[in-house]
Amino acid sequence: MMILSVRDLRVRAGEHLILDGVTLDVDAGAVCAIMGPNGSGKSTLTGVLAGRPGLEVISGTATYLGRDLLAMPAEERARQGLFLAFQYPVEIPGVNNVYLLKASLNALRKHRGEPELDAFEFLNLVRAKIRQMQMDESLLNRGVNEGFSGGEKKRNEILQMSLLEPTLALLDETDSGLDIDALKVVADGVNALRSPNRAIVMVTHYQRLLDYVVPDQVHVLAGGRIVRSGGRELALELERRGYDWLRFGPTAA
Amino acid sequence: MSAETVMQRIAASHAGQTAQLAGGAAWARRRELALARVLGHGLPDRRNENWKYLDHAKIAERAFDPAPRVTLTADRLAPCLLPLAAAPRLVLVDGHFEPLLSDADAGAGVAVQDLATLLSTDPACAMRLLREPGDDADDRYALLADAFAAGGVVIRVDASAAPPEPLYMLHVSSGSLPGTSHARVVIEVGAGAKLRLVEHFVALGDAPAFSNLAAEMQIAAGATVEHIRLHQAGTQSAQLETWFVEQQADSSYSQHFFALGGRLLRSNLNLSLAGSRAQCRLAGLFMVDGERQADLYTQIAHHGAATRTSQNFRGIASERGRGAFNGRIIVHPAARGADASQSSRNLLLTPLAEINARPQLEIHTDDVKCRHGATIGTLDPAQLFYLLARGLDPAVAQSLLTFAFCEDVITGVPLPELRRTIEELVVGRLPDRDVIRSFR
Repeated sequence: MMILSVRDLRVRAGEHLILDGVTLDVDAGAVCAIMGPNGSGKSTLTGVLAGRPGLEVISGTATYLGRDLLAMPAEERARQGLFLAFQYPVEIPGVNNVYLLKASLNALRKHRGEPELDAFEFLNLVRAKIRQMQMDESLLNRGVNEGFSGGEKKRNEILQMSLLEPTLALLDETDSGLDIDALKVVADGVNALRSPNRAIVMVTHYQRLLDYVVPDQVHVLAGGRIVRSGGRELALELERRGYDWLRFGPTAA
Repeated sequence: MSAETVMQRIAASHAGQTAQLAGGAAWARRRELALARVLGHGLPDRRNENWKYLDHAKIAERAFDPAPRVTLTADRLAPCLLPLAAAPRLVLVDGHFEPLLSDADAGAGVAVQDLATLLSTDPACAMRLLREPGDDADDRYALLADAFAAGGVVIRVDASAAPPEPLYMLHVSSGSLPGTSHARVVIEVGAGAKLRLVEHFVALGDAPAFSNLAAEMQIAAGATVEHIRLHQAGTQSAQLETWFVEQQADSSYSQHFFALGGRLLRSNLNLSLAGSRAQCRLAGLFMVDGERQADLYTQIAHHGAATRTSQNFRGIASERGRGAFNGRIIVHPAARGADASQSSRNLLLTPLAEINARPQLEIHTDDVKCRHGATIGTLDPAQLFYLLARGLDPAVAQSLLTFAFCEDVITGVPLPELRRTIEELVVGRLPDRDVIRSFR
């Protein structure tokens, strides 16, 4: 089953053309990595799929579970099971982390026609998840990401993801700024979500994360296009040779 | 309505009342002089720099005749009361102290006097106690209150007293008929005393009443005052207040100010850090929606050495609401080692709402640490997107962020029951309040 199908997507941010014809298919069960140099459009791709404001789609389509993704408002995409783990999770002082988790989970459950969890069920669930992410329980009662370290913010994203159990998870540079222990915890969290009904798209600059979350496919984004696709070995080759050789090399693997 | 007409109406109202006002010849003279000064200078208007954002016409259109005296029963007040059951209550109705609605025992070491009684029995004492307002435009409404001085309350807290319960002062605007009321409040806090005072403004009716409060507080050396002020009057009332606070050495004053009601509110606070190491902490929030206006003016003067100010105000305006924060901090040459920080953050939720923020620092010595900042903006789009990306409804996300914007001002309220009430009042003003409540 196809979860996401992007066709010739061209996207502008202000004056700048960032995505210049991206085509990408993601099947159910797949874990796919999108790699690329800085400025290649990786975050714009996840952003436009999640509905980030300030990005203008010039042409192309994105189909999610057979529906026009780009026509849905951001909250609708989230309720339909699309999850974006932010590269820079925003701090929201005054909005309690655990209440956001609960409101978010219940918004999704309501959308799926499931009953909302009561406070007891919810807390049991969230406590189990927070142990899995090896996070301090006190972070639950802080403002969303408020005063969290870089690593705590990233773990909090994965905590949310594992709670919301998305159909399509987009991980935007989730590995950046993580030490090796945190990287393993985050990778375990992602691996735990691997499932035949779900797809995971990881955007990353380095191949380091891919040692722990082994992708089925690797795509290289450069200059706003997918310039190369392959298996895991492509990531290793990129690690060895850098990105420069692709700019001058053939555009097909 | 022209300024002359307002002055004529004030003069006519004064002429009609003067015979009934207590205090003898000395007070009659003081009132006449105060009236003459008001009439001579006029009320402040937009030409006065500190008054330029106020909708003066909304005051001018009100009747300046006295609000007719009404007799209220306790059950009329019950629905308005804050959850401060154990707190001794002092009730002023249209500016008049009401002993029958108030608790006779205001707490250990706290003495309460009805100003109307004091004017009759000891006018000379009343003369000494009530500050005589100056000629400055910022003091003009206090001068107007002086010209009509009749009712109010005097509170004295003994040195070292620390009443276990807060004092609950309820200002009621009966609001059954249009009219103007003037109230005086005088508070003296003795050395080393600890006072918690909750001041609460409500209106029972929807008549376009105008309430004018002139108040002063003397805080002696080493005393601590926590002052919670909640404006919750209905949609028609206009309130003007002029507070003078003077702090002696090592005293501490904190104020938690909430402007959540009324058609128009103008609040002046003139605070003097007279003694060394005196410190004040002022936190405030106004929320203006509909056609409401809140206009806050604070002037804090550092006179003593090593005095400290920390001021943190938030404003939220929606629909056609208008808000203003005008905060001036003056550090005088003797205030060596003073430390002042001032922050005014404001949120505009709709295009027609308006907020003006003017933080002003005036520093006359080198040995100071001062910071100030003011922002006026809309909700942060990055925060909004984050919440939407988690599946939250846009209206809910906006309400959540709006509440979050003022949350730290609310969490600073020292009495938990009151904090919850204020939180509930703020949440009640937001769209999707039920969803927001589930977040608390």
